Amino acid sequence: MARVVSLYPLVLLAAVWEVVARTGLTPPIFLPAFSHVVADLFTQLLAGQFFDPMLVSLYRAFAGFAIAMVIGVTTGIAMAQFTWLNRFMTPIISTGFPAPKIALLPIFILWFGIDHMSKILLVAFVCVFPFIVAAYGAASTVPRAQIWAAQAMATTRAGMIFRVVLPASLPSLLSGVRVAIPQALVSAFTAEMIAGGGGLGGELVYAQRFFETTTVFEILILMLAIGYVIDTLFLKLRIHTLRWHEQTASKD
Amino acid sequence: MSTASRTAPLVAILSYVGSLAACVLAWDLVVRLGLVDRSLLPLPGDVAVELVTLMGTASFRTDLEQTVIRSMLGLLLGTSIAVPLGATMALSRHVRGFFEPIVKVTYTLPKTSLIPLFILWFGIGTVTNVLAVMLSTLLPVLVYTYHGVEGVPRVLVWSGRAMGTGPVGILFRIQLPAALPAILIGVRVALGFSFVVAIAAEMIASSYGIGKLIFMYGENGAYVPMFAAVTAIVIVAATIDFLFARVSAYALRWSDTYSAQR
Amino acid sequence: MSGSDKIVVEAISKSFDEMRALDEVNLTAKEGEFVSIVGPSGCGKSTLLYIIGGFVQPTHGVVRAGGKVVKAPGLDRGVVFQEYALFPWLTVSQNISYPLDRIGMPAARQREIVERYLELMGLTQFANAFPRMLSGGMKQRVALARTFAYDPDILLLDEPFGALDAQTREVMQDELLRLWRTNRKTVIMITHDVDEAVYLANRICVMSQRPGRFVAEFDIAHDTSLTREQVVLSDSYRKWRNAVWLSVREQVTGLKV
Repeated sequence: MARVVSLYPLVLLAAVWEVVARTGLTPPIFLPAFSHVVADLFTQLLAGQFFDPMLVSLYRAFAGFAIAMVIGVTTGIAMAQFTWLNRFMTPIISTGFPAPKIALLPIFILWFGIDHMSKILLVAFVCVFPFIVAAYGAASTVPRAQIWAAQAMATTRAGMIFRVVLPASLPSLLSGVRVAIPQALVSAFTAEMIAGGGGLGGELVYAQRFFETTTVFEILILMLAIGYVIDTLFLKLRIHTLRWHEQTASKD
Repeated sequence: MSTASRTAPLVAILSYVGSLAACVLAWDLVVRLGLVDRSLLPLPGDVAVELVTLMGTASFRTDLEQTVIRSMLGLLLGTSIAVPLGATMALSRHVRGFFEPIVKVTYTLPKTSLIPLFILWFGIGTVTNVLAVMLSTLLPVLVYTYHGVEGVPRVLVWSGRAMGTGPVGILFRIQLPAALPAILIGVRVALGFSFVVAIAAEMIASSYGIGKLIFMYGENGAYVPMFAAVTAIVIVAATIDFLFARVSAYALRWSDTYSAQR
Repeated sequence: MSGSDKIVVEAISKSFDEMRALDEVNLTAKEGEFVSIVGPSGCGKSTLLYIIGGFVQPTHGVVRAGGKVVKAPGLDRGVVFQEYALFPWLTVSQNISYPLDRIGMPAARQREIVERYLELMGLTQFANAFPRMLSGGMKQRVALARTFAYDPDILLLDEPFGALDAQTREVMQDELLRLWRTNRKTVIMITHDVDEAVYLANRICVMSQRPGRFVAEFDIAHDTSLTREQVVLSDSYRKWRNAVWLSVREQVTGLKV
């Protein structure tokens, strides 16, 4: 009960929104009533609207995310294993991290057109950096005692990576994943807003161009919901995967 | 000072330049060997020449300036709101109770998605862009400030009080300095966002800015200038981030937990 | 005005939700006394110190320091924590002068005092260093210097040497003794180290298991002309140490020996 009560600021804001819209302080083209938006959203969803664009966006986000994960984790762990690689990659990552990678979208479009590939690759490009950093950080700080114990028990170098480094790095890696997920979604939506080619982002800009404010709000709510649902699912997955780990098992 | 510590910065610079040079070299080879078509990927040399030419034109420089100004302005506004709010949230249960659900809900909303809404409300232009940047920077700085102030060890606050520091003094002399490492990390994260959102806004709909320019060059098939413009903004953003990291490191030279976050 | 009651703890009780930490604790420390509170882990001795310091409010009872009721922390009660609690963004000198600034002392006089304490503690070459560059022992030296610098009447020490290694601890104990013997402040020190308590204090109060209350008291006379070696190896020291240890041990095991 206390948890529901603690959401009062949201209820308050929704109420203010409703009142402001209904009393005509602002024309409906700027601020449609909250109730109207929610009701219309349900109608649209029941009619099967938005599902295609949602799936398109999610597909792009996850494809890019998966590519980034594979490349990023491999690179990060390799950097922890081989000093020369670390020395070579670090300047590249230092320059790449703060660089606004969205600026490269037109280049990707030039190379791959406006359909899926350019957007998937942008997502991958954006998400690879947090993965590399998380994987490197985790792999390079495996407690020395664990490595030595494994060595004493005749573990090969490859075995070391898969049996010791990877499991020990898992908690930090999953934290990196949690950071990368919203980045993937944002990049997918943003790329669609800029370059079209379907997806929720494309629908959003389309609605804006035709002054369909209600649709704009509906899509914003959907994006919010998608982000929230995925994050919640991820947290449940993390708790399950890491039930052996002392610190994460008990907290958020 | 041993020889090792004296040459260490030099080695760092050399390896930095070396890595990037190797990448540029690889780029050059890939095009020359015909692995990638020249129309898709111009030679680094051509891009460099174009960049220098463009930097000589006033309109290009103005566009570049506009993007940087919008980013920095949005960052400044976002930080000015986020730091006091984050600190207050850490210190007052009631303030926290009011804002926490709002923060949790808006966290998952991509701030770039608000750009079309802002275009509907404020039209195309600086207000929309700066507002979008401001909102995207507000959240990370807020969260980091909150955690920074909340995590100040209570023995520091208690010592301050035992030594005659009043509540205002506790906030400005103890809590904020102690939270500074966290706050600066938040600002650095926000710095990254500020450029992305500013450029995204310009690409979606704007009358000027480097984002718009890149997009236009792409649309009109002017690929070499497009690559040049992308290079320009990447260099500018990376440089500003580097400078910020340096200033942070100096301001936090007393801290043994802060490290250059990469 | 020696011999007057400097700190009076009257029937202090403290509960955190369901948990009773302190149960009607009484204690009187006279001016110039060095009181040490010992007892089993978790018995509430630190909580009592926090209440005397004004950081935590008691559930029942009242504490008076220098005749006035304690409601909040103040300049009359200096505190040294186990975690040093130095401000890491200030240099050693700035840390020491921090309280002097708060009381509005003129800058020149501040510099004098800071220099004096730096020299006293052997930290002159670290004057402009940040705390992160110091060892644990040095940090605690700065913490002590900082607290002595503004001359509070009362000194509250919460396991001040607990984080230090055995040798550094001995050195710091002698430093503290040296400083105290020149100033004769009223000191209340929490420690779980019985040897330390017997070495430093002239009055030891033993606290029971939670909920804490005082179960035994020892008044110890010290011969201040003796060196550390002479004291520790003496029969009287051993006799006191065993008596106190036994008393604490009873509280730890719950069995009468």
